[in-house]
Amino acid sequence: MTSIEVQSLTKEFGTRRAVDDLTFTVLPGRVTGFLGPNGAGKSTTMRLVLGLDRPTSGTATIGGRPYPTLREPLRHVGALLDAGAAHGSRTARDHLRVLAASNRIPSTRVDEVLQETGLASVARRRVKTYSLGMRQRLGIAAALLGDPEVVMLDEPSNGLDPEGIVWIRELMRRLADQGRTVLVSSHLMKETASFADHLVVLGRGRLLADTPMREFIHARVRPSVRIRTTDDTALTAALARHGHEAVPHDDGHWTVHHARVDDIGRIVSEARVPLLELAAEEGTLEQAYFDLTAAEAEFTTQPQEA
Amino acid sequence: MTFAPVLRAEWLKIRTLRSLPGALLALFAVTTAFSAVAGLDGSSDPEFDPLFTALSGILPGQIAAISFGALAVSSEYHGGALRLSLAAVPQRGRWFAAKVTAIAVPALSAGLVTAVAALAVARAGLGSAADALTGAEQLRGILGCGIYLMLIALFAAGLTALLRSGVATLSILIPFILVVSFVIGDAAGTVADFLPDKAGQIALHQTYDGTLGPWSGLAVTALWTGAALLAGAWSVRRRDA
Repeated sequence: MTSIEVQSLTKEFGTRRAVDDLTFTVLPGRVTGFLGPNGAGKSTTMRLVLGLDRPTSGTATIGGRPYPTLREPLRHVGALLDAGAAHGSRTARDHLRVLAASNRIPSTRVDEVLQETGLASVARRRVKTYSLGMRQRLGIAAALLGDPEVVMLDEPSNGLDPEGIVWIRELMRRLADQGRTVLVSSHLMKETASFADHLVVLGRGRLLADTPMREFIHARVRPSVRIRTTDDTALTAALARHGHEAVPHDDGHWTVHHARVDDIGRIVSEARVPLLELAAEEGTLEQAYFDLTAAEAEFTTQPQEA
Repeated sequence: MTFAPVLRAEWLKIRTLRSLPGALLALFAVTTAFSAVAGLDGSSDPEFDPLFTALSGILPGQIAAISFGALAVSSEYHGGALRLSLAAVPQRGRWFAAKVTAIAVPALSAGLVTAVAALAVARAGLGSAADALTGAEQLRGILGCGIYLMLIALFAAGLTALLRSGVATLSILIPFILVVSFVIGDAAGTVADFLPDKAGQIALHQTYDGTLGPWSGLAVTALWTGAALLAGAWSVRRRDA
């Protein structure tokens, strides 16, 4: 099994450090979400791993070997970097045939990946007639072409329709379940939360976190409980007796922060508070992420001037 | 990784982009057409050179050869295409050598075919005015024309890799070919003979005077081309993709 090893990796563009002393390992058999705001260094790191950019210092290897030393590298590593990489005047099939030829991948594999990415029926159309979502699928087809054990996708769901987003999520899960190493960058939290097992978080080129996703969320966001009742007075009184405070909302439900649903459920049940709704509200990746990056975000949103 | 699959991929790239075979077709059509016209009205000039009159269609035709070389490389500098190419073939020197070969072979072939056709149609127009041409001179003209067009296409290819832009290359080379070389070429003496296009075109003349002959002229053009390709290879190998 092959992992991606990044060791003290640094890349400077002029005086700007795009990647700053980065060390992490992406392991096989799970989907690793590569998170960070725009400009955090995710794409640069991927280019460094692929030997496309030269590091200022440090190393990046695939299964212990620098990418440029791999024989027929598409058979080991598949990457989606730019959806615009396919020439608009070439057909999707020809685009993949060129890549296949360079790595001696049989052309039957071209038709297989076209089928797998749902492009078989439009394979002989010129790429310039494609929507962004279709180009994205073509980029993913190119990444899968060599049946690689390592897959790196940079913002793969850009431009995909909802159906496509579900498809890419299932594809990534399947690749990880087959024991492959899957690294997927994104700046979208909800989406990353839906597929990642593990997280590598960057901010301004530096490593902010390298942990399993569940741990990442639980360490930063405490869960809360959502309650709706017909007897608000009884509810608040029962909670107050146990030291919990409920916050009311306009639509009539209450939130108990920093509480577990198991505890709150028992309390209200013992107090015989009539319940309409009781639900655990887990912390989201978004909350955990903003907690982490509050001080780190490179581009904070400026308030719009009227 | 061996050279053959990389070359096969680069050849496939050229074949599957309609504009590239189109440029070679334009090279053939433009050159033959202009040579045919030159053959019909040519022989009154006192400095009449039957071989150059017959092959003069390459003066406008070479722009198609330049476009071929520039476009074949510039397609790599759009939307991250180069990254995909170099991810598939990380040995950049080998990749660029394959690219250059995949440009050189069709450019040479198209150049030779074009020269044969241009000479044939022009001679049909020139009639007896071209009778003084020996077989050896015609063969030299055809070979010289094919080699010249290949070299000029590769010159454009090397320059495009260096500048990372087909537009920049074309906006340097086409005015150069059309204006600078034309104006200086007539005005100056020996220095102009060493310009990349002027030097190679000596091989297209029946008679020539000056420092360079047909083969040494092509060698000078080859030096220019070699320099452009080395600079292009340096850019491909050294710079971040």
